[in-house]
Amino acid sequence: MSQLLAILQAKLRMSCHTVASVRTESKLKIGFISLAALILWIGAFVVFMESFHWLLRFGSDFGGAARGIGNIIMTRLLGVFALTVFFMLIFSNVLVSFSTIYRSREVTYLIQAPMSFQTFFVARFAECVTFSSWALAYLGSPLLFAYGITNRAPWGFYVAPVAFFIPFVTLPAVFGATITLVLARIFPRLRLRLMVLLAVLAVLSVFFFGREYFSAARFADDTILPALLDVSIQTQSPYLPSYWATRGILAAATGDYAESAFNWMLLTANALMALWVVSMLARWLFYPGWSSLAGSDRNRVKPLGKGILGRVDRLLKVLPNPTRALVIKDIKLFWRDPTQWSQFVIFFGIMAIYIANLRNTSRYYEQEFWRSWIASLNIGACTLILATLTSRFVFPLISLEGRRFWILGLAPLTLRHLVLQKFFLSIATTSLFTVGIAILSAVMLKLDPIYFALSVYSVLITNFGLAGLAVGLGALYPSFQQDNPARIVSGMGGTLNLILSIAYITFIVGAQAFALQWRVLNLFASDQAFYTALATVVVFITMLSAFCVVVPLRLGLKNLQDMEL
Amino acid sequence: MILTENLAKCFGGNTAVSDLNLDIPAGEFFCFLGPNGAGKTTTIKMLTGLLRPTRGRAVVGGFDIQKNPVEAKKLIGYVPDNPFLYEKLTGREFMRFVAGLYQMSGDHFEEHCERLLGLFEIDRVGDQLVEDYSHGMRQKLSFASCFLHRPRIVVVDEPWVGLDPKNIRFVKDFLRQQTQEGTTIFMSTHTLSIAEEVADRIGIIHRGKLLHIGTVPEIKALAEHPGSLEDVFLQLTQGDEPL
Repeated sequence: MSQLLAILQAKLRMSCHTVASVRTESKLKIGFISLAALILWIGAFVVFMESFHWLLRFGSDFGGAARGIGNIIMTRLLGVFALTVFFMLIFSNVLVSFSTIYRSREVTYLIQAPMSFQTFFVARFAECVTFSSWALAYLGSPLLFAYGITNRAPWGFYVAPVAFFIPFVTLPAVFGATITLVLARIFPRLRLRLMVLLAVLAVLSVFFFGREYFSAARFADDTILPALLDVSIQTQSPYLPSYWATRGILAAATGDYAESAFNWMLLTANALMALWVVSMLARWLFYPGWSSLAGSDRNRVKPLGKGILGRVDRLLKVLPNPTRALVIKDIKLFWRDPTQWSQFVIFFGIMAIYIANLRNTSRYYEQEFWRSWIASLNIGACTLILATLTSRFVFPLISLEGRRFWILGLAPLTLRHLVLQKFFLSIATTSLFTVGIAILSAVMLKLDPIYFALSVYSVLITNFGLAGLAVGLGALYPSFQQDNPARIVSGMGGTLNLILSIAYITFIVGAQAFALQWRVLNLFASDQAFYTALATVVVFITMLSAFCVVVPLRLGLKNLQDMEL
Repeated sequence: MILTENLAKCFGGNTAVSDLNLDIPAGEFFCFLGPNGAGKTTTIKMLTGLLRPTRGRAVVGGFDIQKNPVEAKKLIGYVPDNPFLYEKLTGREFMRFVAGLYQMSGDHFEEHCERLLGLFEIDRVGDQLVEDYSHGMRQKLSFASCFLHRPRIVVVDEPWVGLDPKNIRFVKDFLRQQTQEGTTIFMSTHTLSIAEEVADRIGIIHRGKLLHIGTVPEIKALAEHPGSLEDVFLQLTQGDEPL
């Protein structure tokens, strides 16, 4: 039996056993998660269907062009979607491939087996591709279904995405793995100062590129349609793999199977070629990189009380022990794990791009209609960033205690204390950034005092609600066997947390948007009625947030107390 | 069977292993002793190809582990102190997976798998998921999988963790029997009484340097006063702090 086949077969068996083990899980839990996933899928499908229908109606407004303009916009939007996904997959593969190819415990086991580094790489690469791209199948399918139904596509269209999927996700995975292989070879040999300099340069480059490319000024004028078409033309380059995929899939929608097959072959040939090249590269780069990482200076001295963490330690003296000890431990573990804070830095980049682009929307401030929408959307943007932070960094906190849980179990502290410590640590750290960004964005958007107060309050209260969900569900669905936070997040509990967080935000933003738009449309009988409605909204979001704090925390705590740790 | 020439490993400014020269013939039971942080595991990692030496070379079964890693690894079996096993595979599935890695034929596998599972008394739990195994059962599965491809060289890192006295006796006898069939055993351990009992030769490493190598009587003769291997070991390694 080939070694690669043996590994892939073992992985398949493990997946089967994992799926089979679902039978032993709580039926309520499985049912709830399945239902939530189904609702999300159907929700996305409905939104895409409505959007595509709207675009077709929009196109028919152009008279003679009839469905033409709508179709062009749809095609371009799919192009933008495919290109965005392509770049996101590259980024996610850099992170996933580092932990899968270099950091997993399994790597040590496989390296001592008599197989070439090329075979080893391909086996681990297959895992990277699966792990980094399954969400695309889940979230991309309602989009393509909606497109097919809207355009009355033949059956061949529904087969095309299945055929295009593997070669399409393989290419960004190859790019991501190549970046990882090169970085792992170079970085351990660099001095820390140069490493930091390169990291700062990379973040700044992404920031300036993002600010320029996604500049709202390009869209913020009356000629939004030409601007959109102008920007999206860049996704139509015949040199882009995302273009081959969209062109091939869309050709199948019109029944042009020859064109579709040509693009599939083009994509597949390139994917196979790229895979061969990167596997050859792995043959030369993997082992020296792995060895450099394993052989880096282990004599890392961290004198107690010195450096930034020492200062934080002193700053936290106001806290009583054991809370202080737990907080400092969490901060130190986070700080000393580069994969954690490097992703945190990227969130800063996203926030910076968002803030930098706000000034370009000033031309809309004169209209009340847009002012109220911008205020609601701003809350949505701030809370979405917050939800991403809590889902990615707060949810895994309990699970990360992992096999060390016995230390906490033996310590003279209650589990309630532990859960509350994670909850308040989350609020203390995330609110620093998100309330700050809410105030800054409100100032830059020159929001009316009432919108200003509502924005800041909403973001502040959402910090509590999202922390409650993340910590509570993290305790309810812990994954103590897993040391990799990215994998903890992608599990069943992490997915549920993300879905519920988005649902919570939707209620928060929706309630406010409803009240504000009602006022813009002059549907309130009086100002008094508007303020009453606004007060109701505030009470509603406060109660909803309290529910999101109390219920998950109680359930999570009960689960931990019932567990035999 | 195992030859190291000026083998050295530095981690940044730290020298974990310095100019290690070993020549271990086929069928020898070699015990590698040393205090914590002496360089035993680093040496094992270099012998099994898990770490690239900073200087020198390690030759296993005639193959340089760095130049011909695949050929060299075909001859090696490795049992780490804390074995990695796939939690979501059953014991038998794990054995089949290992057979695939070592490209064993189906008949060969069937024959050896059941024999080893039976020998290590884990045949009755062979169809259970590894995640349900006790620490001792995992260790036994790790041993069984190590011997599946009939390695000519077996590297064992502190194998007694998690084993009960009966199984310690069994593993000890089993390893001893393997050496009589020509297998070379390279074992790192802190259990000096067992080393004293089974070793053909003993090497003592301290602060990355090989202090002494010889048979048990030769090592014991190094002591100022006659005593056990433990007394000699403590005398040779006393004083200095570990790395």
